Amino acid sequence: MQDRVTGILKAIADPTRRDIFHALILAATALPITHISNQFEISRQGVTKHIKTLEEVGLVEIESKGRERYCKANANPLKQINHWVSFYEKFWDDALGSLDSYLDAKS
Amino acid sequence: MKDVILKEQIFNHSIDKVWRAISKEEEISTWFIKADFKAEKGYRYTFFSEGENCTQITGEVKEANPYTLIYTWVVQNTDTITTVKWSLEEVGGKTKLYLEHSGISGYGGDTAVNMFNSFDGGWDNCVAELTKFLNAEVHAG
Repeated sequence: MQDRVTGILKAIADPTRRDIFHALILAATALPITHISNQFEISRQGVTKHIKTLEEVGLVEIESKGRERYCKANANPLKQINHWVSFYEKFWDDALGSLDSYLDAKS
Repeated sequence: MKDVILKEQIFNHSIDKVWRAISKEEEISTWFIKADFKAEKGYRYTFFSEGENCTQITGEVKEANPYTLIYTWVVQNTDTITTVKWSLEEVGGKTKLYLEHSGISGYGGDTAVNMFNSFDGGWDNCVAELTKFLNAEVHAG
């Protein structure tokens, strides 16, 4: 589970992967890899590698039809990193713990 | 969706000492986040999160009278304005802190992506900090 969250964060940390993901979100339909790589200035191999990384964390689904592979975006994994309430609950617990230690150390 | 986080904690220290810890720039920078901060109404502060080029928190001090401190809390590259309120109360020589963080339901689905868009460098460090919180959340949930 930890690795999964880290994987998602790392997958969207790369600007080119974000662009590919956004292009697929905007397309709202499955696109052939050739079609996607035409939109980017990097090699088809490069695009394929990025798509593979996105697929590994579930942000892209790949389906083969004949000789072509079609990619579709799936935004659901992003929900895992969008639990802001839980995020801040933990954040403030940690902060108040630090404040407590700080005050004790200072006296 | 839940919109407010409330925390209460009692510190075995005087109210003035706790007040200084939460309102003075050099003290905030020691225990919390490296800060450019003045406890003056209208002051636009910045909290610099760990690691260079990591996301910053900015906001405006809305109230800063002993023993209430209120400021807005905006994560860099997002539009959502949340509010953090610290109130202190003296209880038998100890100090009770009430912390309230409100407006959280304003974070939309794109906020995470926008936030990460701002991480151009120092990513691994940022991820380490973020995942520490997120992992704890995943385990708790």
